[in-house]
Amino acid sequence: MKQTITNDGVGKWVTRQYDVEKAAGTLQYTDDLRFGPELLHAKAARSTVAHGEIVSIDVSEAMKVPGVVKVVLGDQFVHRFGLYLRDRTPLAIGKVRYVGEPIALVIAETEEAAEEGALKVKAKYKELTPIFDPVKAATDNSLLVHPELESYERVPFIVPQPGTNLANWFRIRRGDVEKAFDESEYIVEEAVNCPQIAHGFLEPHCCICKEDPATGFLTIWTAAQSVFATREIIAAGLGYPLNKIRVIAPPIGGGFGGKAGMTVEALCLAGAMDPDIKGRPVKLHISREEVMLTSWVRQGYVAKIKMGIDKEGKILGIKNTFYFDTGVSAEYGANPVRSAGYTSMGCYYIPNVWTDSYAVYTNKPFGGAYRGFGLPELMGVMETIIDIAAHKIGMDPVEFRLKNLLEPGLKTCTGMPMHNHALRKIIEKVVDKVGINKEEEARRPGWKRGKGLALAIKAPAKPANPTSSAIVKVLGDGTVEVLAATMDMGQGTYTSFAQMVSEELGIPVNKIRCIYPDTSSHPYDWQTVASRSCWSMGMAVKRAAVEAREKIISLFSQYWQVPPESIVIEHGIVKCRSAGKAEPLDERIQNGFKMPDGYYHGGPVIGTGSFVPPDVIYPDNETGQSPKSVVHFTVGAVGIDVEVDPSTGRLEVNRVSAGYDVGKAISPMNVRGQIEGGTVQGISAGLMEGMYYDEKGGLLTPDFTDYKIATIKDIPEEIDSFWEETPEELSPYGNRGVGEHSMISPAPAIGNALFNALGIRIHTYPFSRERVYKAVQMSKTSEEDLWEYPYVQEQNYKKAKKEWF
Amino acid sequence: MPKQPVNVVLNGKPITLEVEPRTTLLRALREVGVTSVKRGCEEGECGTCTVLLDGKLQKSCMVLAVEAEGRKVVTSEGLLGPDGELHPVQKAFIEEGAIQCGFCTPGMVLAVVDLLSRHPDPTDEQIKEGLSGNLCRCTGYASIIRAVHKAAAMLKERS
Repeated sequence: MKQTITNDGVGKWVTRQYDVEKAAGTLQYTDDLRFGPELLHAKAARSTVAHGEIVSIDVSEAMKVPGVVKVVLGDQFVHRFGLYLRDRTPLAIGKVRYVGEPIALVIAETEEAAEEGALKVKAKYKELTPIFDPVKAATDNSLLVHPELESYERVPFIVPQPGTNLANWFRIRRGDVEKAFDESEYIVEEAVNCPQIAHGFLEPHCCICKEDPATGFLTIWTAAQSVFATREIIAAGLGYPLNKIRVIAPPIGGGFGGKAGMTVEALCLAGAMDPDIKGRPVKLHISREEVMLTSWVRQGYVAKIKMGIDKEGKILGIKNTFYFDTGVSAEYGANPVRSAGYTSMGCYYIPNVWTDSYAVYTNKPFGGAYRGFGLPELMGVMETIIDIAAHKIGMDPVEFRLKNLLEPGLKTCTGMPMHNHALRKIIEKVVDKVGINKEEEARRPGWKRGKGLALAIKAPAKPANPTSSAIVKVLGDGTVEVLAATMDMGQGTYTSFAQMVSEELGIPVNKIRCIYPDTSSHPYDWQTVASRSCWSMGMAVKRAAVEAREKIISLFSQYWQVPPESIVIEHGIVKCRSAGKAEPLDERIQNGFKMPDGYYHGGPVIGTGSFVPPDVIYPDNETGQSPKSVVHFTVGAVGIDVEVDPSTGRLEVNRVSAGYDVGKAISPMNVRGQIEGGTVQGISAGLMEGMYYDEKGGLLTPDFTDYKIATIKDIPEEIDSFWEETPEELSPYGNRGVGEHSMISPAPAIGNALFNALGIRIHTYPFSRERVYKAVQMSKTSEEDLWEYPYVQEQNYKKAKKEWF
Repeated sequence: MPKQPVNVVLNGKPITLEVEPRTTLLRALREVGVTSVKRGCEEGECGTCTVLLDGKLQKSCMVLAVEAEGRKVVTSEGLLGPDGELHPVQKAFIEEGAIQCGFCTPGMVLAVVDLLSRHPDPTDEQIKEGLSGNLCRCTGYASIIRAVHKAAAMLKERS
């Protein structure tokens, strides 16, 4: 029998944790912390060339700026950092490898003095030939971004290829694709490319680091998603024991993966650990331009897919080649490459799969985690080519998808059987809501209207054993504090945890508070990434709350001398109806109960919970096969209704419908928020986002004027978000992740809608106004494919294909 | 660089800021602990540092502190009632789930206050025009539009 009653439990529409402070503006983010006059400020001077040997760095003019106390150079802080592959130094040592790479760190008494000093650092370089084109970098080993690749430490599941620019090579070898192609009625070979894109979180990176000069202990306050991962990466890079590093994360202003792992903290430590500086806190707040230039981006990619289909429309085999442009570092970005690889069947059952997914170094800013983690890239290609294939074989794209759907029980490309899901139902709903197969007149006179569908899939991408743990503390006033080192960066996880605790403890959510992470107070959690928190940390939080409840009930059972099963906690009041008892949770929870035996029992009630996924096995490095490669997949679909002004290329979204099988919506307000927000972020990426460089590697889009993200004027007229709830077997409440998934498929859905509207296939993201206008012009010719690759002069899809296939 | 005093009325209270000539109003406000004005870009693009300057919307990174001499500055903390009660716009944002990371929220809330002072019963088009200077990367804006309509109704009820 359930022993708790609450109105705020799992599945209820409740308002969010910390929203009062956020609305009032009183919540303190990292940049809002105050450290007094002892605080120093750091600013990096940055490389102006994309590839070169450092001949000299002159800091004499910088040192003359009043307030500047020190300029630190790379050879004074020789440490290599990285989550999966340690290929990154915070300051360039001997060589620069992209425009914007930090070459010196100016430390000053004020931020303004540091900024002024950084402008006065002068460096001379012997320029080397840079490489920007990921396909060239992958296939031509004459220019190496990291000649030292072999010496970099790495985890066993990342497979770099020394002597090349390949930082990781993930393979799937399942069945016999060549035989499948021979047996196929139709062969479809197509390609898609997409530039790097930026996270566009509104809070720039910021951290404050301090070293205790007596003990060497480091304290780091930082805008980080994952305090424990940050600590581990720093400890490994410095050769420090974990216990000497404390990482505190105040609330962060958006992450989207861009604040996962370790970002700017090591650069700041180069200042804070300097012998002349240590003891004083050093703050590094980077500007928007520096965020665009030198923090992670979503990797660009060039991808080709060859597909063999039988005469009934069944896909027999698929051969995937993905080049991910990981820029100058793959320390984190090597893993989305893997994630795309082990999901490279998309939402389809394909018996024969051959995949080569490569992380390719180039002399550009570096790729890393970004909402979707390899899957917007994968599905950006897959859902385009599925649509092309359907048209080529003369089958309706919806029917083609349903015919090949990865139904429960069928095997994914790693050999793992798919679990239960409601994807077929979701597709049917989306098709109906958007009227995918209904031809409709454009709403605007003279415009062309089209509709498109794209499916989504994603598993949490992570090592086999990423653990979580949580502490639930019941306080002496009947409220609860939850220590769960997940970062609530806006996705609403703290509200979800509060609802779980409310469900298990019978205490209203307004009496439950989750505390922002600190490695010194919180128990361990691997990372806030991978849409894993409500699932993995959810397991730990639920276990902790259950333990706390059992302790409370046991104490009251002894106190009242009634059977434990007769006790219920109802809206924070402990009751035993049969004994006529009803008492609040009060200071006895803290101070102990004076029991009928005359002695005190109990003491502060704490529940603890831990979780490790029990049964994940790493895919084999040669074949990608594993009985259980991932914990589960969340699947979904996006349907979109767009129209285009042929005279300008302007595109308006009339309606978008997006549905996902979330297993169970713990916090519906946040599930809706994640679907709406990610859908718009995905549309924004699909229509306007791309990072572009001049021929010397200088970023042309370093700010929100040139790198456009959706404003309120750019959103669809109607956003319909919905979800299905097919419960997950191993899960706190049947729930699966949904934070990233909404970003995966809006862009390919738009591409498919544009094909429907114009009869032109655009193979290059984003579908900018200029590009759509070109497609409109192309529709007046016999050409059908628009391909634009930033690294070649001549833009011709047929020629690009010929060079490739 | 030498500092000079600038007198402003901040959220109804007179205050003197000590600033360099180059200091922006954004940095000057943050210096005295008003950290609801956020540094999202410091180049006038994102709107997270929005304030009301003499009743008009202003990105505080785009004016020098010295230009605020003798003027009234309102930030989102200034919308709170004497006992900390939230302004209806702030309440509506919470009830509609129009907040995620919260970094754009203080500026966005002020933009809504300004919008509703000009259009007490705004259309979606007026909302989009009025909030087009404030970026939000999290919500997709749909919930913000719902919150504006709700706030409009709440304000109407109050008056």
